[in-house]
Amino acid sequence: MTGVTVRFGSLTALENVDFEARPGHIHALVGENGAGKTTLMRVLFGSQRADSGEVTVDGAHVKSRRAAIGMVSQHYSVIPQLKNLQNLMVGAEPGAVLDRKRDRARAEGIARAMGFSFDWDAPSSSLSPAGAQKLEILKLLWRESQVMILDEPTAMLSPADSEELYTSLKRLAEEGRTAIVVTHRIREVLDHCERVTVLRGGKRVATLPVAETDEANLARLIIGHDLRERGSATAEPGPPILMIERLTVLGDRGHRAVDDASLVVRKGEVVGIAGVDGSGQRELFQALIGTRSATGSVRFGGIDWLNLTTAKRLASGLRLVPEDRHAEAVIEDWSLFENAALGLHRDPPFAHGHWIDTQGRARQAGVIADAFKTRYGSLAQPMKSLSGGNQQRFVAGRGLTTQPKLIAAFQPTRGLDIDGSAKIYQAIRHECRQGAVALVVGFDLDELLVECDRVVAMCQGRIFEAPGGLERDRDAIGRLMVGVG
Amino acid sequence: MKGLGWKEAALVIGAAALVWLMLTSIGVVPSEAIAGLVRGSVGGPAAWRQTLREMTPLLIAGLAVAVALRAGLFNIGADGQLLVGAAAAAVVALAVPGPVGVVLACAAAAAAGGLWAFPAGWIKVARGGHEVISTIMLNNIAVFLTLWLVRGPIKDPSVQTWTTPSLPTGTGIPSLVEAGVFRLNWALPLAILAAVAFGVWLQRTVGGFELRAVGANLTAAKVAGVDVDRIRIRAMVASGALAGLAGAVLVLAFEKRFYSNFSPGYGFDALGVALLAGNSAWGLLPSAFLFAALSAGTTSVQILGVPKGLSTVLLGLIIIVFAVLRYREACRDG
Amino acid sequence: MVEVLFASTVTLTAPLLLAALGGLTSERSGVMNIGLEGKLLVAAWATGFVGAASQNPLLGLLAGICLAVAMSLLHLLLTQTFRIDHIVSGMGINALSIGGTSFASKGLGDRSQSVAGVFFPVWMYWILAAAAVLALALALDRTRGGLRLLAVGHDPDKSRQSGVDVGAVRLRALLATGLLCGLGGALIVTNATSFTDGMTGGRGYIALAALILGGWRPLPTLVACSVFGFVMALQLQLQGSELAGAAVPSQLWGALPYLVTLVALVGFLGKSQPPAGLGRP
Repeated sequence: MTGVTVRFGSLTALENVDFEARPGHIHALVGENGAGKTTLMRVLFGSQRADSGEVTVDGAHVKSRRAAIGMVSQHYSVIPQLKNLQNLMVGAEPGAVLDRKRDRARAEGIARAMGFSFDWDAPSSSLSPAGAQKLEILKLLWRESQVMILDEPTAMLSPADSEELYTSLKRLAEEGRTAIVVTHRIREVLDHCERVTVLRGGKRVATLPVAETDEANLARLIIGHDLRERGSATAEPGPPILMIERLTVLGDRGHRAVDDASLVVRKGEVVGIAGVDGSGQRELFQALIGTRSATGSVRFGGIDWLNLTTAKRLASGLRLVPEDRHAEAVIEDWSLFENAALGLHRDPPFAHGHWIDTQGRARQAGVIADAFKTRYGSLAQPMKSLSGGNQQRFVAGRGLTTQPKLIAAFQPTRGLDIDGSAKIYQAIRHECRQGAVALVVGFDLDELLVECDRVVAMCQGRIFEAPGGLERDRDAIGRLMVGVG
Repeated sequence: MKGLGWKEAALVIGAAALVWLMLTSIGVVPSEAIAGLVRGSVGGPAAWRQTLREMTPLLIAGLAVAVALRAGLFNIGADGQLLVGAAAAAVVALAVPGPVGVVLACAAAAAAGGLWAFPAGWIKVARGGHEVISTIMLNNIAVFLTLWLVRGPIKDPSVQTWTTPSLPTGTGIPSLVEAGVFRLNWALPLAILAAVAFGVWLQRTVGGFELRAVGANLTAAKVAGVDVDRIRIRAMVASGALAGLAGAVLVLAFEKRFYSNFSPGYGFDALGVALLAGNSAWGLLPSAFLFAALSAGTTSVQILGVPKGLSTVLLGLIIIVFAVLRYREACRDG
Repeated sequence: MVEVLFASTVTLTAPLLLAALGGLTSERSGVMNIGLEGKLLVAAWATGFVGAASQNPLLGLLAGICLAVAMSLLHLLLTQTFRIDHIVSGMGINALSIGGTSFASKGLGDRSQSVAGVFFPVWMYWILAAAAVLALALALDRTRGGLRLLAVGHDPDKSRQSGVDVGAVRLRALLATGLLCGLGGALIVTNATSFTDGMTGGRGYIALAALILGGWRPLPTLVACSVFGFVMALQLQLQGSELAGAAVPSQLWGALPYLVTLVALVGFLGKSQPPAGLGRP
């Protein structure tokens, strides 16, 4: 790829970027959020038109790249309602009429060559994130792609599953294919990739062999300055205040999504919950919020939490940074004023008895928006006119500037750059030093280890705690995430 | 119009062409039909009387549909709720004469309409059944129920036709203005007041905020601690009660009795009124007026030989065209 | 008695089934379709009118199918290109159809009334309906088109990622909807031998309910349609008969199919799984 430029309106997402990847290599593409990684890969894949520049594969100009290039995006393309075999071939079926025997034989062949095994007739809803990732790779092989682009492939995987993924990629590279991995995890780049390209602000900063660089150097290239160490030290925790005991929550499929989980959090603590996606974090949070029924007991500050309505829990100081921003956290058609009030709309400063207090609301909305520097024109503009990152800043601001007592944050830094993330964690810690507690679910173990006072792991609905002294030990927690004590 | 794409323009032209084609196909000159429409709706005191009379039930029923719509529910059942409300109002007003009877009749109509809407709300919340289907089924059942009533238990035995006896004079909602052939019933200003009050409630109160949250994003409302099930059932019942009231107003202010085939499709027109009004409660006023004028106008052009189906076609076209234009607007905001 | 009941069940089930299958292809592709009623109605009118005017049953049927397909494509245009709410579009199309056919049947004169014998025999429609159930059941399970239809209905975005042309899949699905509803409407007017205003009487909505109760799958949808058809046939049989010695008002029997639909909605709904992407762009 040479001289690729992409503009979205007045914003230049990519400016004159060159990029080349060689067969037989795992090539890493790194950079901060918004650096243009995904856009660049979409141009290569052909799903995003470049304003200028050209793309060649194997030296020849490629018109229909779809045949040669495959892409696994961050959001998997596996459709849970279909069977594994159907997912494998949809969009690239061998003929108008499907011959199950023939298709299954081919699927088996491809899977076996990779050392995978699948129950082809099982619905894909039963796949773990790692299983879905494997199926994605097989989808590319089914389509005989020579160049494979993987966008943040390890975002939802445990350390062990990530290792396995890179082993598979190496095998594919040895066969002469090209793997391009988009990631923000420097450690993976150093451990597994041959070459690395760094993007910053839509421009290429460097392309170099991994052997010639190190962690500090890469980090400097990515963010433009040295990594800052974590600001404050771990504070002395107070008495136990949140007690989750033998909590069981049924998931959508009727399974025990949270299975007999217990956890004690002390006043002032920021507790990270690590784990592979789908280990029960979602249902645990829904039970804490009150949108999903649960058995067992949760006590917060002496109150029987599970008996409260969601409204009462919010009034008692529960503050959320929900997982799915569009679905759970904001109403996109509404103004920032009204979104600021969402969840807190019954009480001052947002309401005065049954009436909405528009002045109080306007004041508070300003505080919320400015807390993490949300960029907006007017507080009256609709939420949907904000970018994803700015919406996230606003949602975090709403949760953290309104006297939180129990903070439940699900990937609170999603879509934010390193500085923005650091500010949010600072605010969480600040509130906890004032006497709040926080539970933070994250899929990036390293981020949790740096930012939280203590990290516990969830695996198959259970909560595991590392033994004393190892609460922030990467290997210990990594093992707990996959259920190996 | 600024910002109007060629696709939208093509749609509007296509809609106009369709109406033109329909009219010429039956040998009516379109300009004459349009002139007739205008004359029949706003051309003189008699036309105004008819338009404002039509506007009254349409505004109340349109408000009914809008209440449910703000909570994200399509109440296609306004017609059935209006029917049972009207029948209930007639029964009560016949039993209890005078102003007391009027008040009781309105209460009975609201209760009957609310009761008729409740199953749809409950099926939606507890069983996940789509309210569009359940309300349509309830409409059909209401038609048969009221037909049975008016042919049997509440029929006026002294006449051949299927109707209740007429209300005694003094039982009913009086006129506010009577000037020559022009009449304006008290019900219309009251209905306008109700629409305005609803608008204020929606924007300025915690309850209105929660109702709109439920309609705009159900999951986000749940996470924000809103009791979404209760609000949806209440919205459906309130919607049914208002539609029932529209039926009561028809009986008490205008028709003075209940008879078979009482509603010529007020419920469906009401859906059009609410959809055309969009997100704002204020929009209900011009929207109800437009549909009323259309209805009064088409009745008068029937003399020209234009079949009544035209107004339903216009209703469909208006729903479609305005939905398209509103989507364009939403895109420009974003 | 029993034979009559059976024959009348088949007669009443077939148009429901054709409409429900039409709804199935549309909703499986993710396009909600409450406009089945309107499509049935326009097809019934066009089949009756053109069939009578031309004295040619084939022309009549083709006209019915074409008009239903046109309405189906209008729905596609409104929901996909103009991106309006699927229910609003369906309501608009129903209003257009109800008003348009009422207008036309009065304005253009109801010529079909005076002329007989311009329709295909009803058994032809029965065979087509049965064939459609089997064909759809097989297609969903065994063909590329069926697999893509399922995929698009569950998740249009992910299907796009996998290289499926979502627009093309939906176009084909809505063509099929038009075709099947066209056949259903033609059958309704054939059964009645002439067009009357609003003659579909809410059958498009009952078909939709049958589709939902059948879990958007062809064979269970057939079962649900048969149950509704049976209830309608029963209603005709029982009209005017007594129950436990007391005269039952005919209106109760008239309301029976709608009551049964309502009860079925309450009783069976929790179990059926809609296409996950229903209503999504």
